[in-house]
Amino acid sequence: MRTDVGDEWLEKWREYFLTWYDEGGVEEKVNEAVEFALPYLDEGMVSVSGGKDSMAMLHMLASVKHDLTVFHWDHGRWLMPREVEDEVLRNITAVAPNCRLIVRRYSLGEDEVSRVVWAPWYREFFTTLRTLGFRYHLLGVRADESHRRGVRGRVVNRGRWVEVHPIYNFTWRDVWAYVFRHNVPVPSIYMRYAKLLGWDRVRLVTFFDREFEKYGTPQIDSVLSWRWRNNP
Amino acid sequence: MEPLEVVIHLKTPVALGFPWIFLDSLLAHLKIMDELGERYYTLPTKIASVEVDIPVKRWRDVYVASVSIFEPVSVGLQVFQFFKRGDFPFPGGKVNRGSGFFKDFYLKVAYLPVQRVRFYCTCEKNEVERLLSKLPAVGKDRNIGFGFIKRVEVNEMENEWGLVKDGLAMRPIPVAYLRGYEDAVYMPYKPPYWSKKNIALCAVPFTRVKL
Repeated sequence: MRTDVGDEWLEKWREYFLTWYDEGGVEEKVNEAVEFALPYLDEGMVSVSGGKDSMAMLHMLASVKHDLTVFHWDHGRWLMPREVEDEVLRNITAVAPNCRLIVRRYSLGEDEVSRVVWAPWYREFFTTLRTLGFRYHLLGVRADESHRRGVRGRVVNRGRWVEVHPIYNFTWRDVWAYVFRHNVPVPSIYMRYAKLLGWDRVRLVTFFDREFEKYGTPQIDSVLSWRWRNNP
Repeated sequence: MEPLEVVIHLKTPVALGFPWIFLDSLLAHLKIMDELGERYYTLPTKIASVEVDIPVKRWRDVYVASVSIFEPVSVGLQVFQFFKRGDFPFPGGKVNRGSGFFKDFYLKVAYLPVQRVRFYCTCEKNEVERLLSKLPAVGKDRNIGFGFIKRVEVNEMENEWGLVKDGLAMRPIPVAYLRGYEDAVYMPYKPPYWSKKNIALCAVPFTRVKL
């Protein structure tokens, strides 16, 4: 975890999460998650967005299997500014240096229109997943993220592939505790957003994306990430 | 035209959609409303451009009007999260508000609980006072009570600080017009600020520049 914000606020939260790591039984949850994921690793790929959940999951799994296959989807510069994307790729290689990293870039992501229409995104993303052909997709999905994810289950058969959620039972506290305890690198932009929105609500999602307008996210991006609004 | 300081005293916190509010944009909006009257509300959405003559001095094609200075400056950004219901009347019977057509939106607004917003400009004092007297609120989400104005003060000044003050840019200024700059970002620099045609590589407000 980067601490270059050098802030009293961050130090207080670091102390809180480190305490939670012991008191919340996070170590046991980690062991259980790794044990759960092990049978799927040989035929599976670990999908990593670069956010806190997937980075924590990658860190756990890379400690037991060094030659993981890691898949990262690059949304393109209009949805994911290059500074953030570069940091994400650096973080992945730092956490899993011996992994086989597969990166695919969204073809429309170089066009501003990608912020407004998202149907092509879904089409291209799922086509890419199909062509990669892995049997198991390990995702950093957690049950407490939303009601919808809470009822999804830990292993979901999607027909062409099976989704596996090793850290499904982690809470946001558990994930941040793991990140702070093991110094898992996450994009530094998290700090700026967490300070405003709270650690429980902060998420790494595409920037200025109209798909998330119903959550007010683009408006917050315009205030906090205004530099990337017109030329990411 | 004379150098002025415009101080807007607020009743309620101001919500933001960008780190700053632009005075020239506020005046252009008020001027269009003033000229069009009721017709303002039946304009097609996002018309290509509305030529409006605002009472602000120009330097090249940049208005000599600063961005907002929020006071007290020590106040930090806050967030207000709320449910916004769609503007459609509910039909009879059971309605699903969790998803579908009548879904409630869970929105976030960044706001500053400040007492005053200060601007510097070079304008026609009487016209600026007249236009600003018609302004009920500033910033975003005024419909839910943000940015309500208590009173507006317009004071004459000796120095022209609408563009630069103590070597710092007081508004976005295209770097093509500058001899030197510390930091630059692509952003709009003249109204309408939503128009892509007005985007240029500009010096960032409150960073060092040389005119």
